Amino acid sequence: MTSCSRPEDLYLYLEGELGPYDARKLEEHVECCPSCREALEERRLLHEAFTSLPPFEVPADFARSVMDSLPEPETRTAGWLAPLFAAVTALTVGLVGFHLFTGLSVFEVLVAVNRFFGTAIAQAAPLAAKTLKVGGVLLNVAGDLLAMGFAGLSAFSRVLGPQGVALVVGLGGLLSLLAFFGARRFLHQGERS
Amino acid sequence: MNTRGQDALSMTEDRQLVSRALKGDRKAYEMIVRKYEQPLTSYLGRMTGEREAALDFAQEVFLKAYCSLASYRPAFKFSTWLFKIASNHIIDHWRKKKLPTVSLDQPVDDEEGCLMPQVADPGPSVARKFELAEIREKIERALASVPAALRELFVLRHVNEFSYEEIADIKGLPVGTVKNRVFQAKELLRKRMEGS
Repeated sequence: MTSCSRPEDLYLYLEGELGPYDARKLEEHVECCPSCREALEERRLLHEAFTSLPPFEVPADFARSVMDSLPEPETRTAGWLAPLFAAVTALTVGLVGFHLFTGLSVFEVLVAVNRFFGTAIAQAAPLAAKTLKVGGVLLNVAGDLLAMGFAGLSAFSRVLGPQGVALVVGLGGLLSLLAFFGARRFLHQGERS
Repeated sequence: MNTRGQDALSMTEDRQLVSRALKGDRKAYEMIVRKYEQPLTSYLGRMTGEREAALDFAQEVFLKAYCSLASYRPAFKFSTWLFKIASNHIIDHWRKKKLPTVSLDQPVDDEEGCLMPQVADPGPSVARKFELAEIREKIERALASVPAALRELFVLRHVNEFSYEEIADIKGLPVGTVKNRVFQAKELLRKRMEGS
């Protein structure tokens, strides 16, 4: 006969949480162990009571009172909608104001506005295109130069090895310092003479 | 909380309701409130022991959930997310009131000594003394005397019918710890009922 079941296994068995092998073992044991059979029956009744505890009563108007206590919703409007709406409103007000002020018809005003923007765009477009083209070429050149620089540096470090690179960097630093102090001294002597 | 098929359906429904609520549809959030008002109040009621306090807490939890709805990730279950808020809300309340807490690293003390979960102790057949309704009444009364940290896990498991994995997610505990504590709560309840 297998050893007596642990009380936690009895609960897990009743909840269907015990694996099939352990569940079978427990069933076999309970068959021939009166003490465990009694313990299982007791837990079964308790388990039934645990799982059928009544829910709390909620007043019918509870959801309504929750909704009344909520702040106004923060609706997710697109960020560009408000400025667009403002721009359209300003344009409409401007057109109507211009019409009232000058007596010109809205249609004439629209034609004039259209002509003004058309001319502006016609002048600005080639300039913008040229700027973009020159910018692109400059970016390409800068990219190529950087790539060449990196390739040169990596080839240099491959040839010299890490110690060689450290030596060159150290020598370079030393020469720079010498050049710097030498230039200062030379300038001071120039001032004195 | 229920079967897998119902779970999946409920999750999809919750995601749709949350999505609509985020777009400003208050009716959708009201449907969420109606769906969860009873499980949430049942949980909070057992944690506070007072119906009125439970209703006040439930209202505050729904408000908190509404205000942080944008932080809800649809990959997770809405019910788990909501109960995590509720659990933290209760803990905050207890901290503010400075209620004594019980360390659960040690076995829970009973009047009759230490409750040792490993020892098989069939004990006298208490359950047979009462009919099911009587047992439920006794459980409700005994529940108030169970340490809050054990009571909470018991309620989440048996009143709210969360799986052990879901409770582990809500409480940020390992599944084994949750199983052990729910068992401790049940054995403690059994012993308290036995003594009554």
